[in-house]
Amino acid sequence: MVADNLSFTRALIATNVKATLALRGAFVIQVVFMVLNNLTFFVFWWALLQHVTTLRGWRLADIQMLFGIVAAAFGLAVTAAGGVRHVGRFIEDGDLDTLLTQPKSVLVHALGLRSQPSGVGDLISGLIFIAWSGQVTWRTTPIVAVVIVASAFILVACGVVFFSLAFWLGRIETVATQLWELLVTFSLYPEPLFGGALRLVLFTALPAGFVGYLPVRIVHEASFANVALLVVAATAYMALASLIFDRGLRRYASGSRFTTFG
Amino acid sequence: MTASHVGKYAAFSRIAATQARSERHELYGRMAFFAVILGVFSSLWRAVAEAGMPIATDPKSLVWYLAATEWILLSAPPIHIQIQEAVRRGDVVYRLGHPVSYVVAEFAGALGLLAVRAPFLGLTAFLCAFAFTRWTPPLAALLIVVPFGFAASALITALYLGIGLLAFWLQDVAPVYWVWQKLLFVLGGLMLPLECYPAFIQRAAAFTPFPSLLTAPASFVLGTHFMTPGALAGRLVIWSIAIALGVTWIFGRAVSTVTINGG
Amino acid sequence: MPPAPAVELNQLSKSFRVRRARGTGVGARVRDLFRPEQHTVSAVDKLSFSIARGERVAFIGPNGAGKSTTLKMLAGILQPDGGEVRVLNLVPSRQRRQLAFQIGTVFGQRSQLWYQLPPRDTFELLGRVYEIDPRTHRRRIETLSSVFGLGTLVTTPVRHLSLGERMRCEIVASLIHSPRMLFLDEPTIGLDVSAKAMIRELLWTESEREHVTLLLTSHDTGDMERVCTRAIVINHGRLLWDGSIAALRRSFLKTKRVTLWSEAERLELSLPGVRVLSSGTYRTELEIALEITPLGQVVDAALRQAAIRDMAIEDAPLEEVIRALYAAADDRGAPS
Repeated sequence: MVADNLSFTRALIATNVKATLALRGAFVIQVVFMVLNNLTFFVFWWALLQHVTTLRGWRLADIQMLFGIVAAAFGLAVTAAGGVRHVGRFIEDGDLDTLLTQPKSVLVHALGLRSQPSGVGDLISGLIFIAWSGQVTWRTTPIVAVVIVASAFILVACGVVFFSLAFWLGRIETVATQLWELLVTFSLYPEPLFGGALRLVLFTALPAGFVGYLPVRIVHEASFANVALLVVAATAYMALASLIFDRGLRRYASGSRFTTFG
Repeated sequence: MTASHVGKYAAFSRIAATQARSERHELYGRMAFFAVILGVFSSLWRAVAEAGMPIATDPKSLVWYLAATEWILLSAPPIHIQIQEAVRRGDVVYRLGHPVSYVVAEFAGALGLLAVRAPFLGLTAFLCAFAFTRWTPPLAALLIVVPFGFAASALITALYLGIGLLAFWLQDVAPVYWVWQKLLFVLGGLMLPLECYPAFIQRAAAFTPFPSLLTAPASFVLGTHFMTPGALAGRLVIWSIAIALGVTWIFGRAVSTVTINGG
Repeated sequence: MPPAPAVELNQLSKSFRVRRARGTGVGARVRDLFRPEQHTVSAVDKLSFSIARGERVAFIGPNGAGKSTTLKMLAGILQPDGGEVRVLNLVPSRQRRQLAFQIGTVFGQRSQLWYQLPPRDTFELLGRVYEIDPRTHRRRIETLSSVFGLGTLVTTPVRHLSLGERMRCEIVASLIHSPRMLFLDEPTIGLDVSAKAMIRELLWTESEREHVTLLLTSHDTGDMERVCTRAIVINHGRLLWDGSIAALRRSFLKTKRVTLWSEAERLELSLPGVRVLSSGTYRTELEIALEITPLGQVVDAALRQAAIRDMAIEDAPLEEVIRALYAAADDRGAPS
């Protein structure tokens, strides 16, 4: 059964990517411009760090690595599981109905229904930043790959949690999107900037610490404890997302919907 | 422009202002984002100060600087989206024969939105900056930012309009918008005053309206004037004319594309 | 022992709590969540019927009658509130995954084909969804493609297909895993006459060939008559009629439509139970309520006025029958 599920997931991602590539022109433009977008934005950090060589211990190379990992993880997330952004809309429009009549996980299927072409641009720019940081060797490449994947899983899991609120609250598209983008925003800033209480939030409710900071730490020094922590965190967030989505699905199946009359 | 012309466009402005009040969701989101970004940057500038400030000013001023640039940027309603939608749907074709010029009507509408967003976001900017720095710049400095900020925001709105019109040729203007916006951030000195950037970037920026839109008005808060008020006013006038001509030209080309290709 | 029925409903009920949203905005929504202003709407009310394997049943009712709700409960999309339901001897809400392997669905207004890709890609993905052995899968696609006359359609992106072509591919997609039962919700909606005819014929043939049970909802009586042999009519969530379509027409509405071409310019036929639908020169169209005035009596009355050159006798159209059925139910005071 696991083999069937893996085979399905692989086929789903392949179909998803194929669909995005179907409009070749638009795809290429989105990819190229997203790379330009990310590189241009980074000029701010580059310029700032020409003046201050370290920011509470973080050098330019560290920030490049941070950007690289988060951009690559985000790109991977919205390319392979781009449906995460649309979960709220799927719920409201009843698009989960067809998925419920099929014998595969509704969540996985829903995540694999959409792909954002610009995600590939994010992924490429992420790899550019990582290479540019000069902190990666052939030996550390597998570790970088692992942390990017773990980070992507956490991003998707949090997206699922935020957008699944639609099961209970109806059209909360804007709020959920903003929460999710907030997560990405926080992930892009070096963690030493943040004080005690906020740091707690960044490792729990809005796990930017697991998306950006911990992966960078691991690339610098791949201690078993840190890697284990990241893997456990990724698993925990995915389990939470799965649980919340399932609960929501049960509610969906009971027919409770938000109907506005007044 | 006769009084009736102005009246017509003013009516569009009023309608849009009502719409804006019902777009509260988006506005509240912007306000929340404002609070977050100012919080993050107040930490950032304090951290930078530990290592050595890049310009002769203190971290608190730089937080207020960011509050000013973000206020200007976020107040401009992102109308490129609705224009792209209208072009895609073909709605624009119907408006082309309308006596009220489509472009002017859209701009007037957007100004109505701006009139609602700017005070709210301005208040948010003030409160958040104060909360994070426990300090305010001299009142005169803040007051001079306001009119320039409104003007700059209006110009940014006009630029959004121009970008939206590109939808006549491009399937999707979003990629162009992304890169344009990041250039605005860098060349306009959104987060870091332009004078902190290397010389070649500053030279490149001089060819764009971006410095006049963000870094110049906001720098009054720093006490180090990027340009004198007079010079800035002059620049804004010149760029207004240039942008107005540019947008009109784009629209003209768009109309001829439609009439040649039949929409 | 006869095989278990394909579908078995017993006192199936479903009601919805409809919340009146007090306002927009997250705050209002959260308040509504904890203290909702609501009333209950009964969508399906103690519905009972059963469908044998291989039957083709039309599920009819006006908008809001509870058809979609019932269909969703059968497919495992919605949980019932009361009563029992078994599909292919499985309980949909508890054995959803197992049932999913054996049923197919076609929602007329929703597509399961990927829009940017040719149907073949969706078929491939479905092969993995339903865990079909690759060789069997390939053969199945070939068979269905030829039966449904898809030809080059399978390699054309769905966005380039006409609605009729798309619908054929949708149905193929729903049959790819050789389901025992197919649920169709408005499968011919929006199609032109020839496309409708083709779809109906294909459904009928396929159902016959593979002994697939069909449950079809539609507003188009043509769908019913061409594809199905049995009709289940519901309104306000309750059963109004369950029987063969022929019997529906026969026993419910005992009228005939008669067109007479006579040698008189006009015919005067004011008999009880006889309604003149239209009259032209030498031609009269009548609707006769057979219980009131037998057909022979009307013809005699006409012959007494002039010789009859030609005559056409038809059953009342099915729309009329159904409309009468709803009206009668409402008259009988079916509480809503």
